Amino acid sequence: MTQPIIALENLTKTFRVALKPEGRSLPWARTWKTVTAVDAISLAIGRGEVVGYLGPNGAGKSTTIKMMTGILTPTAGTLRVAGRVPWRERRQHVAGIGVVFGQRNTLWWDLPVQESLDLLRHVYRVPPARFAENLTRFRALLDLDEFRFKPARDLSLGQLMRANLAAALMHDPGLLFLDEPTIGLDVVAKDRIRAFIREINRERGVTVLLTTHDLSDIEQLCERVIVIDHGRTRYDGALSELVERYGGDRALQVDFADDYAEVAVEGATLESREGRRAVFRFGRGVTAAALIGRLSERYTLADLTVREPDIEDTLRRMY
Amino acid sequence: MNAYLALARASLARQFRYRGANLAGLITNFFFGVIRVSVMVALYNANPAAAPAGYDLAKAVTYLACAQAIIGWVALWGWWDLVRALKGGEVVADLQRPIDFFGLWAAQDFGRAIAQLFLRAIPIMLAFALVYPLVGPADIGQLLIFILSFALAWFLSFTWRFLFSILGFWVTDGTGFARLAIFSATFFTGFLMPLSLFPDALAGVLRWLPFAGMVATPLDVFSNALRGPEALVAVAVQAFWALALYALAQATFTAGVRRLTTQGG
Repeated sequence: MTQPIIALENLTKTFRVALKPEGRSLPWARTWKTVTAVDAISLAIGRGEVVGYLGPNGAGKSTTIKMMTGILTPTAGTLRVAGRVPWRERRQHVAGIGVVFGQRNTLWWDLPVQESLDLLRHVYRVPPARFAENLTRFRALLDLDEFRFKPARDLSLGQLMRANLAAALMHDPGLLFLDEPTIGLDVVAKDRIRAFIREINRERGVTVLLTTHDLSDIEQLCERVIVIDHGRTRYDGALSELVERYGGDRALQVDFADDYAEVAVEGATLESREGRRAVFRFGRGVTAAALIGRLSERYTLADLTVREPDIEDTLRRMY
Repeated sequence: MNAYLALARASLARQFRYRGANLAGLITNFFFGVIRVSVMVALYNANPAAAPAGYDLAKAVTYLACAQAIIGWVALWGWWDLVRALKGGEVVADLQRPIDFFGLWAAQDFGRAIAQLFLRAIPIMLAFALVYPLVGPADIGQLLIFILSFALAWFLSFTWRFLFSILGFWVTDGTGFARLAIFSATFFTGFLMPLSLFPDALAGVLRWLPFAGMVATPLDVFSNALRGPEALVAVAVQAFWALALYALAQATFTAGVRRLTTQGG
């Protein structure tokens, strides 16, 4: 990897939270507890990557993103985004990034979308020609014309997210942070947003860091995933390897051609049986081919299906 | 175009969209003004001798008409935009723009104020001028001082509103602070009654506080109650407080952001 665009080293964030006083005590008497939201996370993200940042609620995803966008200062460790320390050079930093939080609108609520975009052109000092170019491109990719002259408050959630995505990219940021960009959207709206993210990554080399609970987002967009839990990195690598490494058992579903009193096969355990159908689980040490071979020696088979564990299962096992 | 100018212009245009609210505000401000002026007229008629030397009824009536007209310009009674943005967390989006936060909000409020000048201040003054004999700046010099003082009144009021609103960085809901600030503004600015009618000792103190510059100073200049050197001193006090409150606002904001970034929203 050449010079990473995001580099975290032992990044840590702790918060002080007030505990409810127990029993009878004075109303202003409070005890404090230190909560570690992000616990010594180190990672590097290269230019042009699309990285999925996963973890259960409260794992520290948003806290990490807020530090990267300059909204939170770390308690310890170092963080550089495009060579800058985000919170120390907040204004220069935010000029080079785009941020979209799902369910949160950053456009002027009662202004037509187009006017908000025009205002952002001035705020980010985008050259007029470049702005016009971007606008044309995003109008096509996000179908902005459907609602461009309506105020943000009149848009559907899907339209609002499309408008916010356009707004986040008008100033050509090299880095885009997306915090649950497809939350609450229908399938069609989700697809459209995913297609757009793919397109701007391919076309402009925009680096994308994406948090989501919708694993289809990850499957369709990210080659690399980072999984965190309790503020620590649990996994950082290729999506395919995640399932291989943590996915647990695969399943083989067999439909027998005859009624057998007992079915068993070496290397797999019987999970369930219903009529002529049986489901076996088997680990990484056995191949499906070997199992099928053994089964067909002993029984007459009608049909077979092999099921890979999906990411959802994998994550459930990890959390 | 400059970003601040663009923001002000968009905000100005936005004000013109709320026709119903503007009309309602205009009517309310006007009729409350009529009541206040009527009370003042009754007081002067009941005991003409009690009026301070040189402060005649025309000045007092002009002052009250202006006080009603300036409501929309300084917006001291009911400006919740920033309080709400802090409570709702939209402020985070503002912090992610490469622009000075005070400037961002000031520009938008200036656009709002300019719109209110045309939608409220001028119509109210015209309406009062039809009903009552008003006085205006005595000469061109007085008029120029008034314009300066009037502009500073907006800046002071905005900075004051900005200040109490950003206390929301420290509390979950800044509404309480805002109410306290509105209450204090009503009394100390000279909105209720010309400072000239206050007891001398109290008026003397109030003239040196930042609040007089938000309402009383431009009104006294307009109605010629403050003239020449006296008017210039009053404007200088406004300018002093404008700088002081601005510095305080920026420092408070910096502290607020530090709290937000260390302790979270």
